[in-house]
This record gives sequence, structure tokens and C-alpha cells, in this order.
Amino acid sequence: MIGQVRDVPLSGDPASRYLPWTVGLLVFLATLAFAAGMFLASAGDTWRQDLSGTLTVQIPVSDKADRLEQVNAVAELLRTTPGVVFVRPIPDAEIAVLLEPWLGKQVLELELPMPDLIDVSVARAADIDIAALSARLAQVAPGTVVDDHAIWLRRLTEFTLIAETISFAVMIVILISAVATVVFTTRTGLAIHSDVVEVLHLIGAQDSYVARQFQNHTLRLASAGAAVGFLLGAGIIWLAHVYGGKLSGGLLPELALGPGQWALLAALPVAAVLLVVLTVGITVKRVLGKMM
Amino acid sequence: MNALANGVGDIVRFENVGMRYRLGAEVLHDVSFSLPAGSFHFLTGPSGAGKSSLMRLMYLAHRPSRGSISMFGRDVSTVPRTELAALRRRIGVVFQDFRLIDHLSALDNVALPLRVAGAKEGQIRNHVAELLKWVGLESQIDDKPTTLSGGEQQRVAIARAVIARPQILLADEPTGNVDDDIAIRLMYLLEELNKIGTTVVVATHNESLIERFKHPCFHVEDGLLSGPGVGVRNDRDPGGDQ
Ligand SMILES: Nc1ncnc2c1ncn2[C@@H]1O[C@H](COP(=O)(O)OP(=O)(O)OP(=O)(O)O)[C@@H](O)[C@H]1O
Ligand SMILES: [Mg+2]
Repeated sequence: MIGQVRDVPLSGDPASRYLPWTVGLLVFLATLAFAAGMFLASAGDTWRQDLSGTLTVQIPVSDKADRLEQVNAVAELLRTTPGVVFVRPIPDAEIAVLLEPWLGKQVLELELPMPDLIDVSVARAADIDIAALSARLAQVAPGTVVDDHAIWLRRLTEFTLIAETISFAVMIVILISAVATVVFTTRTGLAIHSDVVEVLHLIGAQDSYVARQFQNHTLRLASAGAAVGFLLGAGIIWLAHVYGGKLSGGLLPELALGPGQWALLAALPVAAVLLVVLTVGITVKRVLGKMM
Repeated sequence: MNALANGVGDIVRFENVGMRYRLGAEVLHDVSFSLPAGSFHFLTGPSGAGKSSLMRLMYLAHRPSRGSISMFGRDVSTVPRTELAALRRRIGVVFQDFRLIDHLSALDNVALPLRVAGAKEGQIRNHVAELLKWVGLESQIDDKPTTLSGGEQQRVAIARAVIARPQILLADEPTGNVDDDIAIRLMYLLEELNKIGTTVVVATHNESLIERFKHPCFHVEDGLLSGPGVGVRNDRDPGGDQ
């Protein structure tokens, strides 16, 4: 078809041949980095919600006799502590469930001496002095420990925030290298075909006409590369979901992205191609701008 | 009329134009002339005198290093870049080295100015085929320039220059590669365009053409222009190596 005539013969250029591969690889990597970032973001959110003020108070094993008394005394003290909103001694049966992975199903039958645990919820705003609280509780029941998961959860969420930031930064660096690659390819193409470009220019072609020649070419190559790169990346994420779930055994949140996150992920190759095509246009116009 | 006195009726107007390539020495000095709309001029001068350079200035490929150039009544130095492209579309150029695009067929080469101007594809093919027939290339429509002879390429180049009905046609040695019969045929084509209003400038070494087609003649030598309206009229110079 005449309508399909391409004035600038870019398809034969060596740089053009590598473009789909380069764009494909970069989109593949960017997909993984973006998915990792989004996964870490939602894991961090989950952990942050858990962190919204729970403490566990642990009363060491003691004689059966005053056990209940001690637990009640500690619970009472906790209830009167400012900032505490909820106090619940954990029944033995529940503790057994928690210990089950380590000690087996017969925990209760073993009649093992078990510590008493009390679940405490604190108002987020109340900054409870854990050390002072521990000291006061120890007076009522010696050896009582306040276990503040907030500390390690906070570290965990801080870590995920850093890792999430790094993932997104890596994605952006990858996209920048895609831009750099395309600027190079386009400049090479302009140099190789400077004669044709000059003729078009002298015949009265607007810069946008010449730019479109390069953009159409890049659009085709980059789309192919980006599609393959994205499908490979998505495949790996899906495998990570299927097999990763089995490996982490419940310690980690599920390695899965929600539908919204998948949509964002699918927008990535499209955005990458648009970015690349836009870059080509700007590059061509910049070079042509030097001609009269 | 006042407008004409101001040179508004001139398609090309040079005033004290100097030209240099990059930082090299000036190749044209103090060139002043004007071309009235509808005129037909030859441009002669020895090799390396600056004919092609003068053409380059006229087809807006190069900015003068000094002086001012007006095309179609507009001072080129004040025309914004986007409008320069529109001005170029009113200028047809036959390059001395043709500058055909090798991977495009004769038809697509000739169609370029129409495409660039945004013409509809449906209108292009017949129009181009008709013109190629006119220059005697109806059987080479789909051939690539590399498979055409020098003279055939030259005719494709001329067809490309005139396809979009430019207001001014600048032909740099348009008959350099063809025998006299074809040269005369091509000259008749240019004359025909001139009759319907196209301003024509033909740079040539071909003395017999200048003699046969009696048009006023500019002469460049050592970067200086002489000719009609430029100081003393310099009737054609034997030009040496013909
Ligand atoms: N692209 C260029 N860069 C630098 N110098 C150039 C360039 N093109 C031409 N020149 C110089 O400008 C001068 C005029 O050259 P030009 O091509 O205008 O001559 P011409 O009259 O067209 O010659 P010919 O009859 O051989 O075509 C010459 O000295 C030439 O060396
Ligand atoms: Mg020349």
C-alpha cells in the first residue's frame, strides 16, 4: 500500500534490530521491580495495621494456687493504666494453638507448665512507657514481661518502606535507561539517514512529519519488545505467587497482587512504550532544530 | 504601484548577502538582486563559483552570514521555524546531485512533496504517474533510483521538484546528465511551468541552452554576482570549460 510507505528506511539499521530486545529486557526488569514495590507496599500496610497498638503481657509459670489471682491482679492493673483500651487474658486452649507448631497437638494433655498471656490493646495515640509498665506489673507478679511487638513490627515496616522505595527507584532507573537507549538509537538513525532527513526537510516537511517516521518505527519495535518483556515478568510474578505461597508458610503475607495492582502493572509496558515514543519525537525535533 | 516599487512583487530579493560554510571563508560576497514573479533566469559561472551556494540560500537550506533575504515578500530571518517549512513547500528544487531516496520507487520519490504537504493518498498516484509519463518515465514508475540511468534520475528529480506546483523552481544543472534532445525537452517543460506563472532559475553550464532559450542570465564568479539589475549587465560569459 502506498499509505504504508516509509520515507526513512530505518528497519535495516543495526541499532533498530536491538531495540525490541533492549526494550523487552528493560520492561521485563521494570515489571518485576514495580511488582516487588507494590507487593512490599501492601505487606507494609498489613503489618502497619497489626501494629496499631497491641501488647502481650506474659506472666511466668507459677504455682497453680495463686495463678488466677495473679492474672486477675495484673489484668486489673492494666485496665486502670491510662491508654489501655482492652485487656483479655488468653485462655489456655488458645495458647496451646499458638504452641502447637512447636510442641504438637497434645500440648494440653502434657500438662506442661505454661505461662499466662494477656492480650492488651492500646490507644494508638497513647505512648505507653513500656519499661515503667513492666516494673509496676512485676511488683504484682514477679517476672512479668511486657512484650511489645511494636518494636520489631516497626522495624519490619521501616524495612519494607525502604525496600519498597528502592524497588520503585530501580523501576525508574530502568525506565531512564530505556529513554537513554532510545535517544541513542534515534540519534544513530538520524545520522545514518541524514541525507533522507535533509531532503524531507528541504522539501518542506515539518519536524513533526520527520519525527513521526521515527516514532512509527519505534512504536512497532518497542511495542513488540514491551509485550514480550511484560508477559515474561507477569509469568514470573504468577509463579512466585503459586510457589512462593508454599515456601513462606504463612510467615509472609501472600505473594499476590490485587486486581488494581495488576491493572497498574499492565499499564507499565504501555507507559514505557509511550515514554519511548515521546522520547523519539523530542530527540528528532531537537536534532532537526539545529537545521535552518 | 508603490508595492511593486518596494519590491513586494519580487519573489526573491537579496540585499548585500554574504555566505560562508561554518567558519570558512565567504563564498558569496555582497550579493544583491531580485527576481520578479513569473520571471525566468539562467545562472552561470565557472565551477566552484558559488551557483549551488546561491541556490541553497534561495531554497532556505542555509542562513546568510550577513545581508538580508526576502522570499515571497517575507524577510527570511524573521520567519519562525514552523513557517519556514511552509515557505519551502512553495519552492521546488532540482538538486545538482538529485538527492533521490534510494529505497523509494520513482513514484514514491516524486510523491514526497505531496505527502509532506499532507495530500490525500487517493489523489497522489494518478497525479504522479501522469507527470512521470510527461517526463518519459511511464515504464519506470516502480523502479528504484539506483536502477535508473543518470538522465532518468534527473527527470525523476525534476518531476519531484514540480509535482506540488511550486511558485518558484530552482534547478541546479537540471540538464547536466542528459543528451541535448532530452535537455531541450526538459527546458520546454520548465518553460511551460513558467508560462503558468512559476518563477524559474536554472543554473547551467550549457551554453547552447542559454543561446537557444533567450532568458536573462546571472553570472557568478569568485563569489560575486553580476547580471540584470546587478550593476553593469554582463552578457553571457564564455565560461571556459564547455
Ligand atoms: N558544504 C560545503 N562546505 C564547505 N564549503 C563548500 C560546501 N559546498 C560548497 N563549498 C564551497 O563553496 C564554493 C562554491 O561552491 P558551489 O557548490 O556553490 O559552486 P558551484 O558554482 O555550484 O560549482 P559547480 O558548477 O561545480 O556546481 C566552493 O569553493 C566550494 O568549495
Ligand atoms: Mg553547483
